[in-house]
Amino acid sequence: MTTTKPDRLDEAADQTAPALDNDQLETMMYRAALARGVEDLFARWAADNTFQGWWHPGRGQEGCAVGLMAALGPDDQIMWYHRGANWPIARGMALEPIIADLLGRTNGSTGGKGGGAPHWVDWDLGLIGSGGTLGTAHVLGGGLALAKQVLGRPGIAVAGFGDGTASRGTFHETLIQAAAWKLPLLYFCENNGWAVGTSFADSSPTATIAERAAAYGVPGERVDGQDPVAVHAAVMRARAHIDAGHGPALVEAVTYRVGGHYFGDVGNYRPDGEMDGYRDPLDVLAARLDPSVVERIRTDADAEVAAAAERALAGPIPDGDIIFDHLYAE
Amino acid sequence: MTQQTTEARTPRTTKKLRYQQAIGLAIEEEMRRDERVFAMGQDLTSLGGQFGLSRGLIDSFTENRVRDTGVVETFMIGAACGAALGGAVPVVDITFSDFMFIAGDEIFNKLAKWRFMHGGTPNELPVTVIAGTGVLGGSGAEHNSSLEAHLLHNPGLKVAVPSTPADVKGLLKSAIRDPDPVIFMPNKGLFFTRGEVPLDDDFTIPLGVASTPRQGDAATIITYSGSVPLVLDAADQLAADGIDVEVIDLRTIVPLDWDAVLSSVERTGRAMVVHEAVTTGGVGAEIAARLQAELFGRLEAPVLRVCGKDTHIPQNAHLEKYCLPSVEEILAGARALVSTERPVPQPVG
Repeated sequence: MTTTKPDRLDEAADQTAPALDNDQLETMMYRAALARGVEDLFARWAADNTFQGWWHPGRGQEGCAVGLMAALGPDDQIMWYHRGANWPIARGMALEPIIADLLGRTNGSTGGKGGGAPHWVDWDLGLIGSGGTLGTAHVLGGGLALAKQVLGRPGIAVAGFGDGTASRGTFHETLIQAAAWKLPLLYFCENNGWAVGTSFADSSPTATIAERAAAYGVPGERVDGQDPVAVHAAVMRARAHIDAGHGPALVEAVTYRVGGHYFGDVGNYRPDGEMDGYRDPLDVLAARLDPSVVERIRTDADAEVAAAAERALAGPIPDGDIIFDHLYAE
Repeated sequence: MTQQTTEARTPRTTKKLRYQQAIGLAIEEEMRRDERVFAMGQDLTSLGGQFGLSRGLIDSFTENRVRDTGVVETFMIGAACGAALGGAVPVVDITFSDFMFIAGDEIFNKLAKWRFMHGGTPNELPVTVIAGTGVLGGSGAEHNSSLEAHLLHNPGLKVAVPSTPADVKGLLKSAIRDPDPVIFMPNKGLFFTRGEVPLDDDFTIPLGVASTPRQGDAATIITYSGSVPLVLDAADQLAADGIDVEVIDLRTIVPLDWDAVLSSVERTGRAMVVHEAVTTGGVGAEIAARLQAELFGRLEAPVLRVCGKDTHIPQNAHLEKYCLPSVEEILAGARALVSTERPVPQPVG
């Protein structure tokens, strides 16, 4: 995977990415293992119809989220998108409300309004939510960054999206205005090569998404999304640029969508051999840790997922009258 | 439901202002009152916005709080939603309400549905979108639509449609203070009308409270926005003939002051709705449906609609008057309404 040098990152910013210590790597490994465990759980439940709706698997993309989140601080706010549960889990959100949302139970983070593609939310962690239409994260993430600038509040806003959504007008409108105003906004793209059944190679006039940022004077860096440590370093460089008041930055993490667009999509449009050379991000991360530690982490993570699944399943199904809740302020 | 609650607080002073000046005054007062409030739109600092809404703002606040955007309607509304999620209180000038369609996802999906989808988190989403409605001579089919029924049909939004300078100030201040997204729709055709505006910083008019600018027993005419002056003109002419109609100015479409509408029509037994928006599927249709459902036995005549024609406003300003309800049509409708005799039911066969 090639990593192109960003266009306008400061020399100083380039040197501000501290190495991850062992505790941080273990936390990343643990959260990646939780995310994989939840992915396995949801796949089982999709197959046996435990929940209804359209689960969009995030398997294979865990490295992007754990690398990103390791570089974020408590004041940062995050607006992400529909694929997988990697983002909230990597940020440290509790599993019970995540799983209960998928099941539509009242112990979910949306209080029973969830389903197969949940809008997880955890305000204490800066997980503000996600939209059901692609491109939401650009404009709303831009708004979170705008509020920080207007109110003089610390931290950055992160807008997460896939390669397909980089075609939306919201990508461009937000980036041009955010650059003009130097908003503290990080665009984080998970380029998994597929927009439903259309490949990035077939639909993009540019070789990368990172290079599109240059049109607006914004630095864009492409990084190996299967290596969480490399993702972390790229995000640290980007946020040094943002924290210095230079405005938005873009990181494009190149990854793989191991599953279908949604669960049940068999992906017969994918060419043979596409996955040759695929590296599992959990293996890449594990290689940096002691094998016995990795084994303990994976055992602990599996136990936490199983316990959270049990608690989530015990949650009540909501009453019908909640359909009128939260239309207006209470 | 009464409209006296807030207005009864006698303002210290009033000043004669143009309708459009009251917009800038309300924003400026609310920006002074609450430092979270900021304004965003095209040409705000250079021209005072497309409609000169904000001239008073430019000298008073830094560019951090009065922001000029590019031609980015989608960003403007989406970022307003995001900024409100981030703790700010945005006031966005999208100029012509027709441009709401450019930011349709952001208005109809994000502003209206975000809290519903996220379990009521956050509880409050205080966004005010200023979207000019009504007809501005010669600006054509894509700058002259009256789109409030689209908003009525989409739960999660509130909609204000003021008809006087005082109502502009009172309703816009309430909109900015309101915890829900409010689409505030000043009528471009009223921009240069003048009226006394209370200068009291605390003068507000609650959303969801209609006014009754004329009282009468012969029939109820329910109207709002640019049609109010026409209806009042017609009502004066009817009064000269001894027909005293009651005129209700809704002031907000969401919430809609059903108490005021139903109690008046229960008393008069006759109702007509007048608005500039096209007739089919409009606010008048909703009111007619509700009146027949709740006052079926009391109605002396079918509920009438004298509303915009089911077409678009042509760019040729000469043709605009054929699209909109006229005083003559309102008079004819009212005379028909008050003279209708309830048919005596005939036995079948």
